[in-house]
Parts: sequence; structure tokens; C-alpha cells
Amino acid sequence: MRIVVCIKQVPDPEGPRDAYFINTANATVEPRGIPPVLSLFDENALEAALRIRDQIPQGSVSVLSIGKRIPNAVMLKALAAGADSLVKVEDESLDASGLDSYITAQVLAAALSKLGFDLIVVGRQAADWNDGQVGIGIARLLDLPSVTLVRSVHLSGHDMEIERVLPQGYEIVRTALPALIMVGGEAGELRYPSMIQRREAKNKPITTWNLIDIGLTTLPAKRVIRQRLFAPELKDRACRMVDGASLAEAGRNLAERLHSDRVV
Amino acid sequence: MSMHDAKPCILVAVELQSGDLHPLALEALQAGSQVAQGINGRMSAAVMGNGTGMAVKRLQGFGLEHVYVVDDPLLDGYQSEHYSAALTAICQSAAPVYILMPNTLTGVDLAPRLAWELDAGLVTDCVAVQNAEDGPVFVKPVYSGNVMAVYRAATCPFLVTLRPRAFAPMQPQNAKTTTIVPVTCTFNPNPRVAQVQHLDAEVQGIRLETAERIVAGGRGMGGSEGFGQLRALADVLGAAIGASRPPCDLGWVAPTAQVGQTGEIVAPGLYIAVGISGSTQHLAGMSGAKTIVAINADPQASIFRVADYGVVGKYEEVIPTFTETLKDMLTEEA
Repeated sequence: MRIVVCIKQVPDPEGPRDAYFINTANATVEPRGIPPVLSLFDENALEAALRIRDQIPQGSVSVLSIGKRIPNAVMLKALAAGADSLVKVEDESLDASGLDSYITAQVLAAALSKLGFDLIVVGRQAADWNDGQVGIGIARLLDLPSVTLVRSVHLSGHDMEIERVLPQGYEIVRTALPALIMVGGEAGELRYPSMIQRREAKNKPITTWNLIDIGLTTLPAKRVIRQRLFAPELKDRACRMVDGASLAEAGRNLAERLHSDRVV
Repeated sequence: MSMHDAKPCILVAVELQSGDLHPLALEALQAGSQVAQGINGRMSAAVMGNGTGMAVKRLQGFGLEHVYVVDDPLLDGYQSEHYSAALTAICQSAAPVYILMPNTLTGVDLAPRLAWELDAGLVTDCVAVQNAEDGPVFVKPVYSGNVMAVYRAATCPFLVTLRPRAFAPMQPQNAKTTTIVPVTCTFNPNPRVAQVQHLDAEVQGIRLETAERIVAGGRGMGGSEGFGQLRALADVLGAAIGASRPPCDLGWVAPTAQVGQTGEIVAPGLYIAVGISGSTQHLAGMSGAKTIVAINADPQASIFRVADYGVVGKYEEVIPTFTETLKDMLTEEA
């Protein structure tokens, strides 16, 4: 069974606000002084894939990423955590200013067709643009059943029983492979690689393709136009600090302050 | 066709909750009315479910042109394939220019499916609609809320999902009556993804989404035991229990307690953040609270920048007297 996880690197979403420099010329964001990391839900997606492979001894997990240039440094984390191979599609035209979800899904679908798969796993949304629609797009382009908000997967032969998040609980759904699943935080944190795994990651196979290699000569037109970017208004509140001779007294003082200010 | 019918249609897909209108439907109607105003269009609603009568009735009085309805036993509870088939059928009937829906867990699944079905563009999780000369633009937070992006449509129709609590609920108006349009839809009898079982989560105490007061814990709680102290405080205040992402991922509390960009987005009267450092993705979920109280051991924690009241210190030493004093004051009043 061949599992492919679509992943991308993003500027660390927990960086300070002024680390996200806005390039007004092409409506993109240039990170300043914060490291690139794997997009958070892509880590969950990889963990979900690894947990499925744990159920089947002869399964393989590949990670696939597209972009203008994809440095190996961040991708090695995926290989160290347990992915068997990395496939990169690099092309000058795969720049954030030229992509929307529609084009991204087209490129990933073309790469996935060439790569071959039984199951595709993607994160529910990327930590940069938060679009949350590429997965469903890939499934649509490849005519696959797709399940979103997946918490866990149990394989039984060629079927999958999938636990999926609902507003007030969970449901279990069944679908057949090949299929695509979209995964969020519920799927669990990515496992921590050992020192040996980290070393071995550097020897795992990395394939690099360009658009021609995956049979795309032109990219389709965008369906969404990003007109401009701006920095959000900072709505810092004037925090009134409450203290006391001891923390216990600070707790009492806080209660009294909230009461006298009619908050409670 | 009269001139009146020629006005462009803005379709708002509303969700049901226990057979009635989902509260966020009114926020989506508010956003829809802003779009309608900008392009001199008329707003209609799409209702899908099994037993839609109460919701359809409540949608009277919002000045809607049409309420399109697909009512079918197969729509008893959200099911991706059936709901996207129903909404596609409605769109064929309504020929909307813009389609709006709340960015709920249902919207997160349904909107992209519909977009791909209609070959339409989609902007998710928008917090504002602005009317420009060449049509409406949609504003959404990106890069975990550190940057705002302004989008406009490159397709017709065009889809937009709306972040909960970003728009005020629309108030009913004494407008003319709405025409109800039943729409027929052919469903696939063998959906590719079939439901096997439905499990309701056990929610202890007050639900987050409607709570007037929320007591939330973060990584600083150190474990599930810490949440016991928070529950005692929540009981005194009649508050719901919330959490930032780490306690949910680490299993200290139920994942349904998560407040944040990808969890519940709340706007209570009082939000007490304990041991929460204040990551941007968490702030996105609670900064709409009227009063924010932060208790954190780290004086540099960014939560203090958005808080109205703060105590710097270990929560284990602050919470017991805080809870006890509140309890005494509130019992005295009762």
C-alpha cells in the first residue's frame, strides 16, 4: 500500500507579528528572522499516515511538496519522523504570488498521478494562507472519495473505517481505497524522531521533478484574486495588573477588583 | 422576467441545529446583505435538511427574495455527498453570483466541494466584506492572523465562508414576504463515503459556543489535574471550560474544548485565560471577548497584551483564593 502525504513548509506561525513582512508589489509575505517549519496540520497528516502504516508491514509513506525552491532542511524532519521518500516538484512558476488553491491542486494532482498512490493524506489547511480546499480539489481532479476532519483510520482490507470530527462529536464512515483524507490536530502530534532516525533521514531517496516532468506545460488561470495585503490593526488592551503581598492575596484582590468593576 | 428578478442573487447557505436555524446563519445573512447592498442584488437563502419547516419559517422577515429548500430524509445530519448535491441543485435553480456560508465544521467540508462542483473560486474564513467600485472584496486573516489579505472574485459564481463571530447577527426586519422554492434533487443511493456510526461527544457542563463566561487553560496548566482547579472556578462562575491547542492535543481535555482559529471561535462577556501564553492562533479564537483576564507565570506572555486584567504568578497559588473569594461574593448576592 502506497501512502502519499502532501506537505509544505511555512514560516513559523508562532513568530512575532513584525516577522511577517508584507511585499506590497506582489501581495506576498516575506518572513524576517523566523525559521521555516512544516505546516502544523501537515505534521498531523504525516502522523496519520505513519499510524496507518503501523497497521500494515508492507506499506510505504512518501511525502510530496511543490514550490519554487524547496530546501531539504525542513523536509528532512518528515523523513526522520518515518516517511520513506521525498518527492519535490520545483518550478519558477510555483511561487506564492502565482498560485491559488485551484492551481495548487492541479499541480499536486498531476504529481500524484505520476507518483501513484493508494491513499493521499493532506492537512486540513496550510498555516500560511489557511485556504483549506486543496485536498478536496485533488480528490475531485483524481475522482477519489474524500473525507475531511479525520481523527483516525482503521484499515480492513481495501476499506477504511474513518473516525471523523463532527460539531458535537464524532462519526465513523467507511470508504474504499484509493481515497483522500484531510487531517487536523485531532489526528495527533507528529512522532519525535530518534537520533538514528535523524541520521538515516539524510540517506533516504529524494526525487526532484519540474512541471514538464509531471506533464504540465501551462498552469490554469486563478479562480481567486488576492488584491492586496495589509497589517492588522493592533488591538492591545490596557492590561491592569493585579498583585498582592502573596499570590494568594493577588487571587483575592483579582476577585474583588472584577467585582467592583462589575465584571462579575 | 420582471426587472426585479434580474437583480443578481446572493445566496446564503444556512445550517440547521436541532431542526432550527443555526445561530451563525444570522451572521452569514448579515454578510450577505452587505454584499447585496454593494452590487444592488437580492439575497436568498438555501436550506437543506430533514424537516426544515421551523428554519424556513424563521427565515421569513429578513427581506429575502427566495428561500430555496431541499427537504429529504437523506439529509438527516450532514453528509458530504448528499449536501453538496442538494446545494448544487439549489445553485442551478437560484443562479447565484455570490454564495456565502459560515466557516463551521460543516462549511469547511461543504464549501470546497461546492466550489469544485461549480468551477468557482472560494475564499474561506473571511472576517469582513467591503464594497469597492468593481464589486465586493473579502478580507481574511492569513499567516495565523499576522497579516490580512483582501480577495476578490475571479469566477462567477464565487464562494465565501465567514469566520464565526466576525459579523453581527442580522436583525429581522418587517420586510415583504419571502417566496419559498422547493428544489428537487436526485441523490446518489450509494454514496462513496457511507456513515457507519454516529457518536455524540459527552459535553460536561456548559457549551463553549453559547457560554457567557469561559475559563480556559493552556500548556501552563501542566497536565489534566490543573483543569480540575479550573472546573471549580468555572462552577462558581457558571462558565464553560475552554483550552488552547496544546492541552487538547496532549489529551488533558476533550478536543471539543479548543478555542482558536481552528477550534471554537468565541466572544463571551468574560474570558479567563490561565496558563495560556497567547499564540496568535488562540487569540484569533477569543480576542472578541468583552473582558479578558489573564493569569500566567510569565510576565512577557503575549496574552497580557490583549488582557484587561492580569496576574503574574503560578496559577496553583492564585486560583484557589480567586475561586474562594468569588464564591463568597456571589453567594452573598444570591
